[in-house]
Amino acid sequence: MPTLDAPEERLRKFKYRGKDASVRRQQRMTISLELRKAKKDEQVLKRRNINDVSPEPASEKPAKGVVSLSLDEIIKGVNSSDPVVCFQATQAARKMLSRERNPPLNSFVEAGLIPRLVEFLKSSLHPYLQFEAAWALTNIASGTPEQTQAVVEAGAILPLIELLSSPHMTVCEQAVWALGNIAGDGPKLRDIVISSNAIPHLLTLVSSTIPITFLRNITWTLSNLCRNKNPYPCKEAVRQMLPVLSYLLRHHDSEILSDTCWALSYLTDGCNERIGQVVSTGVLPRLVDLMTSSELNVLTPSLRTMGNVVTGTDHQTQLAISAGLLSVLPQLLKHPKTSIQKEAAWTLSNIAAGPHQHIQQLIAFNMLPPLVDLLKNGEFKVQKEAVWTVANFATGATVDQLFVLVHSGVLGPLLHLLSVPDVRTVLIILDVLSYILQTAEKLGEKESLCLLIEELGGIDRIEALQLHENRQISQAALNIIEKHFGEEEEDIIFPVPNQESECMEMKK
Amino acid sequence: MELSDANLQTLTEYLKKTLDPDPAIRRPAEKFLESVEGNQNYPLLLLTLLEKSQDNVIKVCASVTFKNYIKRNWRIVEDEPNKICEADRVAIKANIVHLMLSSPEQIQKQLSDAISIIGREDFPQKWPDLLTEMVNRFQSGDFHVINGVLRTAHSLFKRYRHEFKSNELWTEIKLVLDAFALPLTNLFKATIELCSTHANDASALRVLFSSLILISKLFYSLNFQDLPEFFEDNMETWMNHFHTLLTLDNKLLQTDDEEEAGLLELLKSQICDNAALYAQKYDEEFQRYLPRFVTAIWNLLVTTGQEVKYDLLVSNAIQFLASVCERPHYKNLFEDQNTLTSICEKVIVPNMEFRAADEEAFEDNSEEYIRRDLEGSDIDTRRRAACDLVRGLCKFFEGPVTGIFSGYVNSMLQEYAKNPSVNWKHKDAAIYLVTSLASKAQTQKHGITQANELVNLTEFFVNHILPDLKSANVNEFPVLKADGIKYIMIFRNQVPKEHLLVSVPLLINHLQAESIVVHTYAAHALERLFTMRGPNNATLFTAAEIAPFVEILLTNLFKALTLPGSSENEYIMKAIMRSFSLLQEAIIPYIPTLITQLTQKLLAVSKNPSKPHFNHYMFEAICLSIRITCKANPAAVVNFEEALFLVFTEILQNDVQEFIPYVFQVMSLLLETHKNDIPSSYMALFPHLLQPVLWERTGNIPALVRLLQAFLERGSSTIASAAADRIPGLLGVFQKLIASKANDHQGFYLLNSIIEHMPPESVDQYRKQIFLLLFQRLQNSKTTKFIKSFLVFINLYCIKYGALALQEIFDGIQPKMFGMVLEKIIIPEIQKVSGNVEKKICAVGITKLLTECPPMMDTEYTKLWTPLLQSLIGLFELPEDDTIPDEEHFIDIEDTPGYQTAFSQLAFAGKKEHDPVGQMVNNPKIHLAQSLHKLSTACPGRVPSMVSTSLNAEALQYLQGYLQAASVTLL
Repeated sequence: MPTLDAPEERLRKFKYRGKDASVRRQQRMTISLELRKAKKDEQVLKRRNINDVSPEPASEKPAKGVVSLSLDEIIKGVNSSDPVVCFQATQAARKMLSRERNPPLNSFVEAGLIPRLVEFLKSSLHPYLQFEAAWALTNIASGTPEQTQAVVEAGAILPLIELLSSPHMTVCEQAVWALGNIAGDGPKLRDIVISSNAIPHLLTLVSSTIPITFLRNITWTLSNLCRNKNPYPCKEAVRQMLPVLSYLLRHHDSEILSDTCWALSYLTDGCNERIGQVVSTGVLPRLVDLMTSSELNVLTPSLRTMGNVVTGTDHQTQLAISAGLLSVLPQLLKHPKTSIQKEAAWTLSNIAAGPHQHIQQLIAFNMLPPLVDLLKNGEFKVQKEAVWTVANFATGATVDQLFVLVHSGVLGPLLHLLSVPDVRTVLIILDVLSYILQTAEKLGEKESLCLLIEELGGIDRIEALQLHENRQISQAALNIIEKHFGEEEEDIIFPVPNQESECMEMKK
Repeated sequence: MELSDANLQTLTEYLKKTLDPDPAIRRPAEKFLESVEGNQNYPLLLLTLLEKSQDNVIKVCASVTFKNYIKRNWRIVEDEPNKICEADRVAIKANIVHLMLSSPEQIQKQLSDAISIIGREDFPQKWPDLLTEMVNRFQSGDFHVINGVLRTAHSLFKRYRHEFKSNELWTEIKLVLDAFALPLTNLFKATIELCSTHANDASALRVLFSSLILISKLFYSLNFQDLPEFFEDNMETWMNHFHTLLTLDNKLLQTDDEEEAGLLELLKSQICDNAALYAQKYDEEFQRYLPRFVTAIWNLLVTTGQEVKYDLLVSNAIQFLASVCERPHYKNLFEDQNTLTSICEKVIVPNMEFRAADEEAFEDNSEEYIRRDLEGSDIDTRRRAACDLVRGLCKFFEGPVTGIFSGYVNSMLQEYAKNPSVNWKHKDAAIYLVTSLASKAQTQKHGITQANELVNLTEFFVNHILPDLKSANVNEFPVLKADGIKYIMIFRNQVPKEHLLVSVPLLINHLQAESIVVHTYAAHALERLFTMRGPNNATLFTAAEIAPFVEILLTNLFKALTLPGSSENEYIMKAIMRSFSLLQEAIIPYIPTLITQLTQKLLAVSKNPSKPHFNHYMFEAICLSIRITCKANPAAVVNFEEALFLVFTEILQNDVQEFIPYVFQVMSLLLETHKNDIPSSYMALFPHLLQPVLWERTGNIPALVRLLQAFLERGSSTIASAAADRIPGLLGVFQKLIASKANDHQGFYLLNSIIEHMPPESVDQYRKQIFLLLFQRLQNSKTTKFIKSFLVFINLYCIKYGALALQEIFDGIQPKMFGMVLEKIIIPEIQKVSGNVEKKICAVGITKLLTECPPMMDTEYTKLWTPLLQSLIGLFELPEDDTIPDEEHFIDIEDTPGYQTAFSQLAFAGKKEHDPVGQMVNNPKIHLAQSLHKLSTACPGRVPSMVSTSLNAEALQYLQGYLQAASVTLL
């Protein structure tokens, strides 16, 4: 699924500052594959309208009576020249497409009905017909990429945009929805919608007087216009949408907030310039505010957005910190939902990858105790992020900060995790250990650190890793043991013959 | 090579010859095969033979040869020719799966290995139909074939367990999952069904269980990287079956073998691993299955016997429980008092018992026993797993667990008390239980460092440990004696000193025990006690406190070396060394006997040195004897020489390589003890030390350099007068060392000693040559380590011969050379010098250059004066520059050797850091200020102007500080 942001993919901008930073970043960047089931708590990209209570247009009452037609009858009906027959057939079609189970989307595409439905969109004399056609097209566009494509190929986009100016609000709303489904398909169709100039029309619809359901639809469609990368939506489109999005961010309705936050999360899931565009609208304090929401659907995307922001430049990260990010993060690290813990830990790991001034802030906001707790008791996927945090923290820290880290109790759980069945995590931990030991060596603190590691059962675990099948791991473990835990005695060293001997002849 | 009968015949003959025990026949045959293996069709001939040969031996031989051929040649290395032609590759891949599956097991294994080697290179891109081919065989219903496929699949997929996530890897896994996961699941279900239809057919069951084991292993590999969507959707199926299999037993599958794990055990072990993988990594999804697995695994543990064949299963199963019980959200599964009691009683206690196998090891394989018990190489044992479970449970339930175990400990001790000779194992278990319960953290150096406060360790010591050790018979219940001694050893930081002191004579007494474990533990415990530190970092026990036992201690230690099995016991020798070190002068009265015993031991082991630790401690003990005695009475050195030189000569003559570095170190120590000139006995040795052959062995170099330095320090005038003809040889050693990146610092040690100690006139004629050699090396391979040593050397030279002499020698080699050295080496690199003495030498040397070298004041070198001063102030004030250029990183760690300090050496033969400028200059900063002042009085006005015009502000400020501190001003 191209549009679901796999967390691993988002991690691609991870700022690991180890010795071979470029290599690590590379490795984390190239993974876009998932073995896992797709995430459930993400935003939907296409929605079918299955609400059976058809709102009645204000004027022009059609003939009453439920019409239930077969597909053949519908085909015949829509091709009729009688608007009433057309309406009845279209309504029947819409109902068929709105049934809860197995709507025959494909049969409609194959029957070639779409062009006719698109034509109906233009029949401004018959708003009921426009409405039913827009609805039917909405539902067809909610299907597979091929089905959405069929709607676009039939030329639906322009008439749908026309309908955004319809005097009939229900028609207008349905058009918004249909465009949302088209834009949600992927970057290509999204950009066709954008280049057809849909955005200004959409934005003029936003006002405080329209019904909440309508505003929700608009917000959702906007979020789909922000969604997807490769390529991202053009900067001009983003520039147009941002003021309205920051207006919507102050709304009180949780669905509107949720979709607005998702929109912002898509916009910040990119290069620093993209992040900068969002940050400059001044939304960060409000986003931090929303991170304390009790609604998961608001919390998740606002946290995601802030998490994206701190993948940016040091300055952008500083703005996030100044907006109060660090005062809300600790409680999210303790959130009952592990997916939230994980996102929060991921966010933390990127702040830890910053300059030591940022690391100092992490310490000041008492971020280490909850971090240690996650390392100790978190679920594995959370522990993994916590390990990255420690790695980034350690490699970017000043000596004093490293001291604070070691004394926060991080070593115990870290060493414990050496037996976890995940090779990458194990290697990162070994790297961190080796780095800390080297620093301790320079400060003359190595002996006490080695004793601490031994006390915590670390030597056994590191020794066991010397036999690991992964060569990088066994080598890293071997190096640590040889370099730091060789002979126990302080005063006894054995003669080690030197390997190199490139001697000249002795002079007589 | 044609695929002809003739060729098959030839190949058969050569293969046959490769099996010949006679190397004269075998070797040429092997050579021949290697020489023809590059030909097309060679591998196909081998495949034909292994399929069709009439001779079974040839079949197997061909299959092995084929596998090795694939191993050597299949991989296509970039920039190297492809060693197998494309047609052969295609033919091999087209036939090998079928061939493997239709071959008998012995050959199947070889071909399966070959397939996985090929697969590693070609799968999936270049072998797209392999998966389909394998999956299709699942339908064959022939489990011989199916197991072959499964085995191959396992060897292909097991790398998913240890490789890093990457796009390629995950693309492959996705491909495998799409093609393989569903058929594997169906096969799993079908196999389980067949197991119940064939529940009474032992041979069918064995085949089916082999399949189940392989399927379970494949499950582990496929689920390792992440939880695949397919397995999440089918978790129910897999976990239900795994659960059922865990609880399954079938008499027909039980084996009589006590040692070797049977199919049932292997399967259940793997299932424990699978469950542990899910519990650790996919907790959220696995949560609802986990309680059932906990129960099943716990029941499994309760019903599994003590035999060795169950060890892996039991320790896997316990480790599973240990990892689950410390997770906060599963704590409820364990918190019920009955559950806890039952885990303690039925899982932990039984697995802590001293088993027949342990008893056997204690008696017959004590070295292995000690290593496991003392040094913790017991990772996979039941006892260790049980200990881990105790620790895991203590995370949330320390109180209740301690309570439950206290009850057990008491009842086991009561059992023991009723009839010690029958029930001694109960006490062993009780002690083990107390130990594992009480120890929360432990190090080799300090024993237990964090203890469970709910356990009263001292009380247990007084009531249950001391009485055993006090019993008159040291040979009774050896296991309990060993337990008791170990208890002292590991709780030495918890048991109060007065109790430890009480145990010292008891431990000394147990040095006489016949059991190797017991007297070894006694020696080790004494050694550990003597190493303990009290307040002020002094040893916890003073020599005075141990003095009453000196005689018996030394006697028993040496007697212990005569007990069977302990003649080269490193623990005892280490205890001897440690006792000497603690007791110091108190051992002097015994030295004559001690040194005799040590030299006898030395003589004996030098016939065949086999225990490096033992030997090392023995030499340390010899050094200690010398030091302690000669400190009080330097004249006694002669006695040592008398006692030792005979053995030393023998070692040198017989070229006992392991001991030669030690001998040189001991000789250095002896030589340094002489206050006056070198005795003639040493001088006789001097020429021999310069023999090239000795220097060929890199292990000798540090010790030899050390010894030559001792000669130079003590006897430079003797050498100059009586052995002047040896000076070129000495410099030859320097030349040889300086040419090696690894040993150049040793060469500088020697050179520095020559410069410092030899009378100038005796080295005059060689000086220029020395500098030329150094420049040569600088040009050929400049390393940071070399530069650092070079800087120290030229500054020492400057101190010894004067600044002008240094300038002259450089400029004598080549005009303006001195300026180049200043500009390109001294000024930019001086910040890299490390070590206090080294820095001081450089500071004093540079001060001389600045203030006692006229050309620095009035030639073109003058422009370098201020930069040189600036770099000297940098040396004083800036942090050391420890960066190493990238291209040098491969050079070994030994890149910052001290001026005179540690090479790999005997600790007690070491000498103090030597400071050649110690007497001359105390504080180099003050020295600089004073020297500058002196210079400025000689040429008033110049120094202040040079300083103020181009020294940077910060440096100037420091300099003013020095001048102030020295109370001088610049004129």
